[in-house]
Amino acid sequence: MLQKVYDWVDERLDITPLWRDIADHEVPEHVNPAHHFSAFVYCFGGMTFFVVVIQILSGMFLTMYYVPDIIHAYESVYYLQNEVTHGMIVRGMHHWGASLVIVMMFLHTLRVFFTGSYKKPRELNWVVGVLLFFVILGLGFTGYLLPWDMKAYFATVVGLEIAEAAPVVGDFARVLLAGGDIIGAQTLARFFAIHVFFLPGALLGLLGAHFFMIRKQGISGPL
Amino acid sequence: MHRGKGMKFVGDSRVPAEKEPNIPKDYSEYPGKTEAFWPNFLLREWMVGAVFLIGFLVLTVAHPAPLESIADPTETGYIPLPDWYFLFLYQLLKYEFASGPYTVIGAVVLPGIAFGALLLAPWLDGGRERRPYKRPIGSALMLLGVISIIFLTWESVDQHDWEAAAQQGAIEDEVEVDESAAGYEIYQTQDSCIGCHGGDMQGGAAGPNIFQSDYDTDEVIDIIQNGIGEMPAGQFDGSDEELETLAAFIANDGQDPENGEGGGDEDAEGNEEENTEGNEEEAEGEEENE
Amino acid sequence: MSEKNHRVSRRQFLTYTLTGVGGFMAAGMLAPMVRMALDPALEAAGDSEFVSVGLSEDEVSEEPQRVDFSIELDDGWYSSEQSRSAWVLREGNEILALSPICTHLGCTVNWGTNEENPEEFFCPCHFGRFERDGTNIPGTPPTRPLDVYEVEVRDGMIYLGQINQRG
Repeated sequence: MLQKVYDWVDERLDITPLWRDIADHEVPEHVNPAHHFSAFVYCFGGMTFFVVVIQILSGMFLTMYYVPDIIHAYESVYYLQNEVTHGMIVRGMHHWGASLVIVMMFLHTLRVFFTGSYKKPRELNWVVGVLLFFVILGLGFTGYLLPWDMKAYFATVVGLEIAEAAPVVGDFARVLLAGGDIIGAQTLARFFAIHVFFLPGALLGLLGAHFFMIRKQGISGPL
Repeated sequence: MHRGKGMKFVGDSRVPAEKEPNIPKDYSEYPGKTEAFWPNFLLREWMVGAVFLIGFLVLTVAHPAPLESIADPTETGYIPLPDWYFLFLYQLLKYEFASGPYTVIGAVVLPGIAFGALLLAPWLDGGRERRPYKRPIGSALMLLGVISIIFLTWESVDQHDWEAAAQQGAIEDEVEVDESAAGYEIYQTQDSCIGCHGGDMQGGAAGPNIFQSDYDTDEVIDIIQNGIGEMPAGQFDGSDEELETLAAFIANDGQDPENGEGGGDEDAEGNEEENTEGNEEEAEGEEENE
Repeated sequence: MSEKNHRVSRRQFLTYTLTGVGGFMAAGMLAPMVRMALDPALEAAGDSEFVSVGLSEDEVSEEPQRVDFSIELDDGWYSSEQSRSAWVLREGNEILALSPICTHLGCTVNWGTNEENPEEFFCPCHFGRFERDGTNIPGTPPTRPLDVYEVEVRDGMIYLGQINQRG
């Protein structure tokens, strides 16, 4: 049955080469923990991606209950946390996942640096990776404000003051991020848009480039 | 692969009619212990992922995401703290060389240099050598960066007043005060109490909400007579009997203790949950002036 | 030949295990999320509270009278006041509180507004008519009687609860 469905699609779209390309690429011995246990350091990239997937899924489900509005944002988070079945778990996944993705990404960055994997011909992939690092820090910063509780609000106040310290463009950057002179309704709407549309869009694009380059160039050889 | 003239397509599309068989590559033709991504390697990777996921779910169930009370921009006493991964940046701005007139150094120059160097690492360290100990400068700088981030985060965590932080921002239930109680009437005659704690007893300009702490009647009498923290002593103006009525009323969370309905008990329980432990000491005397 | 068969079965075994582990991971991730999304559909409908309409038991007569009252409507994190009305009348020993929503297409019925049938509820939209106890009159558009509120009498005052269908 499944085979027939596959054949039907394959006849029309010729997906076998695509599928074989994904399934058949070789994984060398030196990244395989079954052969050298120290190769577990090579799994941090995959774990980062796994947590990113958790973040995207839990985030999608959280927006079913969340409203980005300073009057109702807090109420809606409180509601989904305390009244909705498993809401506490899903919000917990998003909250702890945010920390874990940073930890995993940090470890992945260290692995790539200390194995010298960023060197020719992989310079571009390193740059894309560092950009991913910035995007994820940006997601952490904008997402922190969304529950609109005391902690969120004052952390954002401090964060925007740091942005203001930049010379020449500081004021401009702060007003641009806050959406006005005060941190309030417009800031929340802006941070929501950045957190939910702009940065995830950038994240997916960069991730696609990251994976494409890994497949094209292969995993860096043993030291 | 067949190319050029004579090639057959599916219908009028550009999908070739000749199909490749869906057969995995034979890895025995590769040297060494290379293995296939699917399913061999991915299975190993996903088993790690599954174990990780179980641990992760246990974490989310054991430690629900924190939620404080709704943001109140007028609250001035709140000590802000960014999420932990920004702590190193936050801590950097505390040092003399990176604050005040030099804020720009702490906020822009130093992080800019660090992250700029990270971004440009392939060109700053252009040598062919990959082993970390064969390129000591690059490795040393990276180690320095990692150690300073860990150190700054550590310092920031160490210097933060976690006890005060645990108390702030807690979600508080509005206490419903029984306005017909004798204690409430006595309170309304005490101008010096109202001056700080407000006419509704829920806190005012200088004093906190009276009901946010959990004292018994004797302790309340003692605090009213002798003061606590910044709260001065001897502010009560009335007979000992009135003092006791008022104290019992406060200890009973704003319900008339004579009234056997037990409404106060429920409130007391609710309060214990909402109040973080150790809240009592400072809460009563916080920012009491004059 | 036999070795080749062996290799294929090992590969298949790995593929099945891989799909199993993948399914487990997907289920572990998605189960709480999907449960959260389905929550409104799975949540048992809560019994709504009874609201006083400011009418005492003695004031209710055989003649239907209209009462307007408001209820607190909780919609997740948002609660609002909504106004409702009911036709309250005495039917034998019972007190009936009829919903004024016509069971045909949801217009509002009124008592005795049709000059030809003064002792009936009348819906102006499609001339639907109901008896005094809310029973729909055959031959008019509505196909079932008017809905009724749950009625409770506390200390002689009328309290109305949720709306239930009849018949």
